[in-house]
Amino acid sequence: MPGIDECLLEAMRLPGARGAALVDWTSGLALGTVGEAPGGDHETTAAEAAELARLAAEHGAFSTEDDTEVSPPVEDLIVSNRDSYHLLRFVVTSFDATVFLHLWLTREDGNLALARIRLGEMAERLVLG
Amino acid sequence: MTVVETPPPLPVRDRAALHERAPGALSPMLIRLAEERATGVLVREHGTLHLAEGRVVHAESPLAPGLDVLLTARGTLDAAAWPWTDDIPAALHRLLAAGLLPRGALELCRLGALYDAGYFALAPSSTPGRFRYGDPAAAGPLPAVPVMDLERETLRRRELLHRIWPDPTADGAPLIRADPVAPPPVTPRQRAVLDRVDGVRTAPQIARELGRPAFHTLVDVRRLAAAGLLAPRSPALVPPLLPPVTDPDIALLKRLRDALEAL
Repeated sequence: MPGIDECLLEAMRLPGARGAALVDWTSGLALGTVGEAPGGDHETTAAEAAELARLAAEHGAFSTEDDTEVSPPVEDLIVSNRDSYHLLRFVVTSFDATVFLHLWLTREDGNLALARIRLGEMAERLVLG
Repeated sequence: MTVVETPPPLPVRDRAALHERAPGALSPMLIRLAEERATGVLVREHGTLHLAEGRVVHAESPLAPGLDVLLTARGTLDAAAWPWTDDIPAALHRLLAAGLLPRGALELCRLGALYDAGYFALAPSSTPGRFRYGDPAAAGPLPAVPVMDLERETLRRRELLHRIWPDPTADGAPLIRADPVAPPPVTPRQRAVLDRVDGVRTAPQIARELGRPAFHTLVDVRRLAAAGLLAPRSPALVPPLLPPVTDPDIALLKRLRDALEAL
């Protein structure tokens, strides 16, 4: 069964992966990090990504139409810029937690579709075994 | 007109400022214990930190729900399945060995609980901390947290709360609902907190009922206070949970106490 570090190392095996982190979007705490961070500092990146994740998770505009109790309703966020992709995948837990996986990919080598599917599987395996 | 409320940004640690204050900004005794790689239990006013070879393996506080509460509140773990023991590292061993929880879920929940209880354990206190050496068996199956990481995170969390709403009174006082003229929208997680505000419960009690980390509840409580949706009951009578440390006299006294502690 994978722990946090194994999960992040697995994410780093995706093509074009530069860095990965597991972040709490309420506090901005990085629960685990591997690889590089944009700007060189994982803690700053975690705090900034957490802000974006929190807005997406909490604002009604991004919720689903059915009223199921999955929290948060958003599955993932994709941010792209000229040289990289950022993929934020919310981890759905059976206990009360507000965490997401953050994967940073180079635009040249990264495969966004593949990364999105894999990161979803990893988020599930992390908490379901 | 559409009004979009922008929440205050999550604070980022100022590394330069940190080096001036650290190490020992919160507890010089803790830094000393980390340097000598001590094993034992540090008992402070609002919580305790369990150290193994100078690293934090477990933290608990009466203000923060423990791992047992977090895992059983929403049925992740059947209450009967929790190995009821005060020895948390041993409990983690048993849960992992029995395969009751995936390692990732347990690591995630335990790290969250550790930083949560650590935040309260390192809160400003009116009495000096005590350290009890002993029991090297305290090391658990999950990685320990460096003392400096916990200190830095605790400082960052204080700043985060301060930026949301600078009045700490609501952190520990019984809460009452306020009725603003034009109530702003409330998120589902804030709604769960607000629904339990009844003039009696405090934020840590609400956190326990929800099976939610206490700090996360404080974030929502301060946001709701800032939005005018709740308020502490008779703030004049209830002392704040964590006294603000801006008064120069208090700060001086605290530095004096910390220096004495460090001797």
